[in-house]
Amino acid sequence: MLLEVKAASVDFGRISAIRNVSINVEEGSVVTIIGGNGAGKSTTLRAISGLAKLSAGEILFEGERIDHLPPDKIVGKGIAHVPEGRRVFPDLTVEENLRTGAFLRRDKDAVETDLTAVFKRFPRLKERRGQRAKTMSGGEQQMLAIGRALMAKPRVLLMDEPSMGLAPVIVEEIAKIIEEIHAQGVTVVLVEQNAELALELADYAYVLETGDLALEGPAKELHDNEHVRAAYLGI
Amino acid sequence: MLELLVQTGLNALYSASYISLVAVGLVLIFGVMGIVNFAHGELFMVGAYVVVALYSQNEVPFVLTVAIGLIFVGCIGLLMERTMFRPLRDNPLGGLVASIGFLMILQALASMTFGVRMAFVPPVTQDVIEFTDKIRLPVQRLYVIIAAFGFLTALWLFLTRTRFGWALRASAQDPEAASLQGISITQTARIAMFIGAGLAGVAGALTAPLISVNPHMGHSVIIAAFIVVIVGGVGSLEGAVVASAAYAIVHTFVTTFYDGVLADITGLLLMLIVLIIKPTGLFGTADRA
Repeated sequence: MLLEVKAASVDFGRISAIRNVSINVEEGSVVTIIGGNGAGKSTTLRAISGLAKLSAGEILFEGERIDHLPPDKIVGKGIAHVPEGRRVFPDLTVEENLRTGAFLRRDKDAVETDLTAVFKRFPRLKERRGQRAKTMSGGEQQMLAIGRALMAKPRVLLMDEPSMGLAPVIVEEIAKIIEEIHAQGVTVVLVEQNAELALELADYAYVLETGDLALEGPAKELHDNEHVRAAYLGI
Repeated sequence: MLELLVQTGLNALYSASYISLVAVGLVLIFGVMGIVNFAHGELFMVGAYVVVALYSQNEVPFVLTVAIGLIFVGCIGLLMERTMFRPLRDNPLGGLVASIGFLMILQALASMTFGVRMAFVPPVTQDVIEFTDKIRLPVQRLYVIIAAFGFLTALWLFLTRTRFGWALRASAQDPEAASLQGISITQTARIAMFIGAGLAGVAGALTAPLISVNPHMGHSVIIAAFIVVIVGGVGSLEGAVVASAAYAIVHTFVTTFYDGVLADITGLLLMLIVLIIKPTGLFGTADRA
């Protein structure tokens, strides 16, 4: 197993955000975590990337505990995080944003190759490479946030609500991009409120409800599950 | 009259030079660490006393002294980061209070070592460039202007052309997102403290032969720097430089044509007006303040 979250709990003061959550991510798969607002989806991702500290449980990457490491060390292990709300650096240019994504990398030539690849995948970013990130639209900023994470050359890509607040056309584009990234061998952990989209893309899915793991299974099965259909797919 | 204006303009350029060095450091530290460093004026003071100790008392060459001032005060910045700001990272108010305590320690140390009276610093050069009878620029002042220009250019190149420069700006804009790129907050804090403190030290060292060096000289500089930071827009380095120039021009002109006290008041009024018209400062943006 590439990434394992084992019985993890995160507390914010006296409120617990997630309780006893276990998630397994196999290399090369797309795993999704779905659930309503405040279910603890983002907290789970934040715990993996070191932004939220566990109060119980552990997180293993390639069998090695990473839950005590600071975020900048966890990126170095090959886990990149596209945070909720994109969080691009508003006053850095598009190119500078992308290059910060490669901050830890020493293989300079490969970084240039990857930058060219990102520009090829996102032509809009190339057009705007000298422009400050804050001047771009939401969709473009999402592309930039994804591109920035890819510049770290991750083995696992954590994506937090990439479709949030975007027009349907752009959501489709994002879905296509996630499939492409997956096709290149990157493991994806996708958190989404848009359950339809998430279950379509994923191999395996977890359903979080107010901090507890309610359900898990192959994405196809969950898509046909009556509870999931009623609660998250609105059918 | 025209000559007097040009002369005052030159004086303003000189003031703007060293004030901007101090203000830019203050902005850098606030931007990256979220801490208002009240001891920044005292770092300026320590820089001046490095000159007293080495150049005045031991005849070390002035240029070398300035370099030592930069490094020595930069290292004090590192010490502050390690002993105060890192343990108080989640407590910006605590950092502020600690910096006020540190300010007093530095003042006391300077008083105990060098006495409270003004320290004598011999001039580096007596040369004066005479454009006309009434327009004169002492070469010592020219040195300060050139050095400030050089340091600010170097800082700008560092921030825009190097990966640590991007890292510094990234963590000033969004520390959490920066840590997700592998940027260590501790490391950027260290760099910001070294550069910020070092620039204050270098400003103090450069101006030591031109101003009265005493343990309490930090006060006037820190007030000017705070006004400049607020006028320029908290968190904006460009703003700090532009506002330094604006402040120095206003302050110098009012001092020349009226008097110094009125100039201080005018400086504060300038800040008030900017805050009323544009509360985020000239170059500030709401999301960063």
